[in-house]
Amino acid sequence: MPTNALGREIPEEVAGRTLRPYQGAFVTIPAGRRAGGPLKTIRPGADKVASSLEEAIRRSGLRDGMTISFHHSFRDGDRLVLPVVDACARLGIGDLRLFATALFPCHEPLVRYIQEGVLTRIEGSLNGPIGAFVSQGGKLKEPPILRSHGGRWRAVACGEVGIDVAFIAASEADPYGNANGINGPHACGPISFSVIDSWCADHVVVVTDNLVPYPAVPPTIEQGYVDQVVVVDQVGDPAGIVTGTLRVTRSPTQLKIADLAVRAVEAAGLVRNGMGFQAGAGGISLAAQEILARRMKATGVRAAFAIGGTTRYLVAMLNEGLVGTILDGQAFDEEAIVSHRTNPRHQPMTPGFYADYNSLGCATYLLDFAFLGGTEVDLEFNVNVNTHSDGQLLHGIGGHQDVASGAGVTVITLPTLRGRVPMIRDQVTTVTTPGEVIDLVVTERGIAVNPRRADLAADLRRAGLPVRTLAEMKEEAERLVGAGKKPLFGDEIVGVIQWRDGTVIDVVRKVEGWQ
Amino acid sequence: MRPTQEASAGTEDRSDALVRVRPAGRLTVSVRTRTGPMYEEHIASLVRQALRGYGVDGAHVEVGEEGAYDHVILARLEAALARSLGSEELFRSALPVVDRTPTSRSRLRRSRLYVPGGGARLLAFADSFGPDCLLLDLEDAVALPEKDSARFLVRRVLATMDFGRTELWVRINPLDAGGADDLALVVGSRPHGICLPKAEDPAQVLALADLLASLEEAYSVPWPLWIMPIIESPRGVLAAADIARAAERVACLAFGAEDYTREVGARRSWETLLWARSQLVASAKASGVQASDTVYPNVEDEEGLRDEAQRARDLGFDGKGVIHPLQIGIVHGAFAPSAEEVAWARGAVEAAVAAAKEGRGVIAYQGRMIDRPVLERAKRILAQVGEGSDAD
Repeated sequence: MPTNALGREIPEEVAGRTLRPYQGAFVTIPAGRRAGGPLKTIRPGADKVASSLEEAIRRSGLRDGMTISFHHSFRDGDRLVLPVVDACARLGIGDLRLFATALFPCHEPLVRYIQEGVLTRIEGSLNGPIGAFVSQGGKLKEPPILRSHGGRWRAVACGEVGIDVAFIAASEADPYGNANGINGPHACGPISFSVIDSWCADHVVVVTDNLVPYPAVPPTIEQGYVDQVVVVDQVGDPAGIVTGTLRVTRSPTQLKIADLAVRAVEAAGLVRNGMGFQAGAGGISLAAQEILARRMKATGVRAAFAIGGTTRYLVAMLNEGLVGTILDGQAFDEEAIVSHRTNPRHQPMTPGFYADYNSLGCATYLLDFAFLGGTEVDLEFNVNVNTHSDGQLLHGIGGHQDVASGAGVTVITLPTLRGRVPMIRDQVTTVTTPGEVIDLVVTERGIAVNPRRADLAADLRRAGLPVRTLAEMKEEAERLVGAGKKPLFGDEIVGVIQWRDGTVIDVVRKVEGWQ
Repeated sequence: MRPTQEASAGTEDRSDALVRVRPAGRLTVSVRTRTGPMYEEHIASLVRQALRGYGVDGAHVEVGEEGAYDHVILARLEAALARSLGSEELFRSALPVVDRTPTSRSRLRRSRLYVPGGGARLLAFADSFGPDCLLLDLEDAVALPEKDSARFLVRRVLATMDFGRTELWVRINPLDAGGADDLALVVGSRPHGICLPKAEDPAQVLALADLLASLEEAYSVPWPLWIMPIIESPRGVLAAADIARAAERVACLAFGAEDYTREVGARRSWETLLWARSQLVASAKASGVQASDTVYPNVEDEEGLRDEAQRARDLGFDGKGVIHPLQIGIVHGAFAPSAEEVAWARGAVEAAVAAAKEGRGVIAYQGRMIDRPVLERAKRILAQVGEGSDAD
C-alpha cells in the first residue's frame, strides 16, 4: 500500500474517492479557480420566509443523495441538525451526506438516522458518541472525512465538497436573509463558519428564532446569498456552548505544565510588545493564557492580537488592554458573546481569514506562539488529536493543524499520563498534525524541543528550563504503568484525516482486536 | 496462606484503585479497568505475581481501577490483605527501591512541599513537582480510618517513583499514635528523613532516633535517616534548642504556625508569630541545624506568600513549607541569594582555591577568616545560582 510522507499507509482510493497522500506541510501548490454557487436573481417584493423547516426543505429541492451543511457555533447546544434531519426523514428524503462543521454529544440521536439510511455519509468533526459509533465501522457508505477549520473552508471554496442545501442557524435574522449569531436571546457568537457555505451552496436556508425588521446587523450572512428564511421556536441553546474543558484547571500538574509552557515562550523571547498569540480552549491552554496574562501585567507587555476561540479569560485580557484585538471565529462562553456584541476590537473572522491553505493570507501565519493540546504525541513530534490510544475516533481537528502550521513556535501541552495511559508513544495512533510544524512538547516532566529547533533548545537551557527528550519522558511514564497493549487494526477505514491542503495525512482503521 | 476475612482498600477516585479480597480455596483475580484490553492482563498478572510473592494461594481478589499506576494497585492490594489478616507483619520488609542517593545534613532546603499520603490523585504526579524537600504526609492529611492504607501507599510510592534531586521525607503520626507502625512500613523504602509532628520534648526525638537505628539495620538502609522535628506548640517553641540538639540526626527544625497559633490563642500575623519564629531560628542555628518556616495557607495569594517568604529568609530561615506546587517557584525566588551574597561567595571560594594552591591552611577574604562552615555556606550560595557543585 502506498505511504505518505510520514510513512502512513494511505490507500489510493476509498469508496470510489481518490486520496492524495500528504507530502509535507507546505508542498501542495493549488491550481484552478474558486468555486461558487449558481447565479440567481430575485425581483422586488419577493418573499423569502418559509412557514416551516419542512416547507423550506421541500422548496429547496433537496433530494436523495444530496449534501446538507451546518455550522457548530452552538456546539453541544445545537438545535438545528436533528430537526432538519428528522424533517428530511419525514419527507422521505434519504441517503444524505451530512456536512456539519462539527458534531457534539447532543447529536447522538443521529445514530438512528444512520441506521435507517437517512444519513449515509458524514464529513466534519466528530466529537464523542457519533465518532465512537462510526469507529465500529460498516455503518456509512463512505468513511467520514475530517478536516481542520481551514481545511473545510478550502474544501468548499475550491469545489472539493459541493453543498446542495446549507442550513444556517442564526440568533438574529431579517426576512431578507441577513443573519448573525451575536444578537438575540440565544446568541452564540460568530457564525462565520457558514459564510463559505452561503457563498457556494446551491441553496441557502437561514433558520432563526429571532426574526427582526430589516436590516439585521451585522449581516455575517448576507441577503444576496440567502434563498429562504425559516422561523423556529429555538435555534440553539447557548448553555450548550460551554463544555467541561473550557475552564482554567485547578490541577497542580496541569498548572505546572501551563507554567512551563509560558516560561518556554518567555525564554524564547517571544513575549514582547506587538506579539500575536493563540491559546486553545483546553484546561492547560487556558491556564497558560492566565499565567501569560499575569506575566504581561507584571512586565507591561502588550500583545497586538490574539486569535480565538474566545473565553472570558481572553476577553478579560482585551478589556485590560493586554491584547489589542481579538480575531475570533468562535465564542466559547457568554462573556465572549457579549464582548462580540459590545467591543469593536473583538473582531469576528471567517476560517478563510485565518486558516485557508489556498489563500494569500492566514492570520495564524502571523502568530508568534500558540499553546495547543493533543491526545497523543510521538517521538517524531507528530500529534494526534482525533483518536485515543484505543483507536476510537472521538475528537475533531478544530484549528489544530492551521494554528500549528502557522505559529512561529507551536507548543503542545499534555501530561505524560492520562489516568494510566501514556501520552507519549513510539508512534501516534493517528497523525493529525505532523512533527514538522511542532516546536515544543511540554509535559509535567519537562520540555522536549524538536531537533529542528536547536535555537530554542539553547534559549531554554540558558533560562534554566528542564529540556528533556520525548524518549526519556516516555520511559519514565511507562516505568509506572507498563507499555500496555496496542489495538490491532483491520483493513476497513472508518475515518480519513485530511491535512489542511486536502491531502491525506492519515486514515483511521477499524479496531479488530488487541495484541 | 489464605485470608479468612473479606476486606477492601482504596477508592473509586481518579488515579486510585479499589481492591477487594475475599476468602477462597484457590487464587482468582478479576480486573475492571477503564483502559479495557490495553491493561487488563497486565494488571491481573501484576496482582497474581504479588499474591504469590506473599505466599497467598487462596483468595478471590477484585481490582477496579480508575487510572491507578501499578504501584498504587499493589499498595491497595497490600492494605486490603493486611486488613483481611488483621496484621501488617507480612509487609514489614524492604521492597526493591529505585536508585536513590543520600543527602547531606546541610543541603539546600528552600521548599518543603506537603503532599497527602492517602490519596492517589495528588501522588500521581508528585515526582514532577521538584521541591527541595517533598513531605509525604501520613499525619494531619490522612483521616483516621485510612491511616493504614496511606502508609502502604507511601511505602510503594517511595520505592517506585524517581524523585530526582528532591529530598524525600515522611511525616509520620506521633509515635504513640501509629507512628511506629508508619516507620515499620516506610523506612525500608529509603526516604531521606522523617518529620516528627508535635515535637515538644527531646525524649521524643531520642525515641525516634532509636527506632530508626534499629529499622535501618533491619532493612539494610544504606544511610541514617534525618529527623525534622516540627515545632508547633508553645512547649515545643520553648524546648526548641533541646529538641534540635537531641540527636545528631536532626537536620532541620520546622515551624508549624497553625497549631501554635491556636494553642497560644493568638491571631495569625507576622507580628504575633515573630517571637516564636525568632526563638526557633536562634535555637536551630545555635544547635547547628537548619530552620524551615511554616506554610503559607492561602494558595491564591502569591504576593502574600512572596512577602512572608522574604521576611522568613531575612529572619534567618533556610526554607519554607508549601502546600501547592506553584508555591515552590515563589519560595525558591525568595530564598535566592542576593547579588552581594553571590559576589561574596564567589570571592570566598576563589580565595580558598588560591590558598589551597599555595598550600596555605588559613584562608582570608575581605579581611575575614574563612573557616570550613563559612566556605560551605559560600559553596551553597553558588550552587543556588547554578555555579559550582550542588550542596550535596
